[in-house]
Amino acid sequence: MFLALREIRHEKLRYGLIIGMIVLVSYLVFILSGLAYGLAQQNTQAISSWRVDRIALNKDANDSLSQSVMTKQVADKVKLTSHEAYLGQTGVVAKAKGQAKLSAQFLGIDRDQLVYRRLKVTAGHKPTKANQILVDDSFKDNGYHLGDKVTLNAADGQYRIVGFTHNAKLSVAPVIYGSLGTWRTLSHLTPDFQASGIVSTRANFKAKGLSTLPMSKFINKLPGYSAQNTTFSFMIGFLMVIAMVVIAVFLYILTMQKLPNYAVLRAQGIPAKVLVTTTVTQALLLVVAGLVIGAGLTLATVLAVPAGVPMSFNLPLLGAVNGGILLTGVVGALIPVKVILNVDPVSVMGG
Amino acid sequence: MPALALQHVNKVFGHATNEVTVLDDINFEAVSGEVSLVIGPSGSGKSTFLTIAGGIQTPTSGSVMVQGQALDDLSAKDRDALRLNRIGFILQAYNLVPYLTVRDQFTLVDRVKPTGNLDESALRHLLEQLGIAALIDQYPAELSGGQTQRVAIARALYQNPDIVLADEPTAALDSARVKVVGQLLRDLAKAHNKAIVVVTHDLRLQEFADRTYAIMDGQMTLN
Repeated sequence: MFLALREIRHEKLRYGLIIGMIVLVSYLVFILSGLAYGLAQQNTQAISSWRVDRIALNKDANDSLSQSVMTKQVADKVKLTSHEAYLGQTGVVAKAKGQAKLSAQFLGIDRDQLVYRRLKVTAGHKPTKANQILVDDSFKDNGYHLGDKVTLNAADGQYRIVGFTHNAKLSVAPVIYGSLGTWRTLSHLTPDFQASGIVSTRANFKAKGLSTLPMSKFINKLPGYSAQNTTFSFMIGFLMVIAMVVIAVFLYILTMQKLPNYAVLRAQGIPAKVLVTTTVTQALLLVVAGLVIGAGLTLATVLAVPAGVPMSFNLPLLGAVNGGILLTGVVGALIPVKVILNVDPVSVMGG
Repeated sequence: MPALALQHVNKVFGHATNEVTVLDDINFEAVSGEVSLVIGPSGSGKSTFLTIAGGIQTPTSGSVMVQGQALDDLSAKDRDALRLNRIGFILQAYNLVPYLTVRDQFTLVDRVKPTGNLDESALRHLLEQLGIAALIDQYPAELSGGQTQRVAIARALYQNPDIVLADEPTAALDSARVKVVGQLLRDLAKAHNKAIVVVTHDLRLQEFADRTYAIMDGQMTLN
């Protein structure tokens, strides 16, 4: 530690540049991971808030809630318990007087069932009448207020915003919760139709005559979700690998540049173990400093970006990214260990 | 028993037609309490001799004994420990760590060898003798060639070694400083019973030597 710290203190510019490089690499990886995770979250936030395990859909809907619709005749064959809830989904365009149009996902729910019970309201209250709706907080960010009257799909009816809820997004669109009756109206369906699907908290839930699948599979089949996640995973993966190689190469070059000094120290009898420990400690100090500053910059960025930018962080993912970069630093410093152990003191002695 | 003895030491570099004999049947003894001078021109094998005497290089044949201990019998780790504890090296060039102040050069020794080094007052006295006490917080890059060499001497002596191996310790010094360093090495040998071995081409050091060897084309003779 003594040699490592003294060298960093003396060679401020050189080590500052290396820390700067690690800061930029970690900042890039953090931001990209945050954006990827944020976007993934916006596909599924609403689903996560229901805390359900399975969903039943029309057999012909290709596991897509938006393509599914079930008649009362089919729905009645499924005995619903307190663990299940009907969902009616349709895409809508919302518009209030004086406000911009917003594309959204309308979800019709039943007031006596679990999805309704599990909704968390950040302002106002849950809908208690057919013409009331609960909307995602992003409506508020777009200028909508409690009490605003909203038209949906330019239909005749008007719906009053009675509450806001946080993190209610489905397929990156804000969710509007209303009644199943409103869903039927917006979907131009007769009362013969019950819902788009049934969600359940029971892991073994099966619905006769319907296609039942776990939520993880359902989420992966959300339009564009898998493709988007795969793309981001590959981007972050490649970025991590390249970042790791760059950091390892920098630390390797740094260590090789120190060999003449190490030769002097070896001639003086300083044990090779001390030099190896110094090298690894120094690499860890540089990487940790880079990661801490990178994390600080990321935090500042998160506070500065507009609310609409999907950025969210997952601690296990961040931990893995940090661990990976840290490990890279150690590996980069350890690659030349054999050279350090075999450094020839004679190389610094004249003849 | 001599503090340092080389018996029939040969050192050959290269193979076949490229073979070069740098040291040829060297026999050498350094005794505690004496300054031994090895004088020879550049390329005569002085530094190779010194690195073999200090256990940094191994000879092609022959033996090196340090206080009765054959270096051949020691592992690389034990040879490191021997250099750190019993041999002080004064190298010809680049012999200070560039990112450590003069003070830190000594602190580093304390870190890896916490006991047996000079105490604070002895170090101060040594630095004053060498005229470098005021440079304690300077980095090597801020020192002149002569100052650097004197700090390197102080660093080697700080370990309080039984044997001091010095490679051209007066190369960058003027005549006045040569006298100071020569007298210091001689005092060290006499007062503290150290074996001092100096390889040099500087004839000004001859007056401080108890015995003088000449080395030429890898062959050594006792004058």
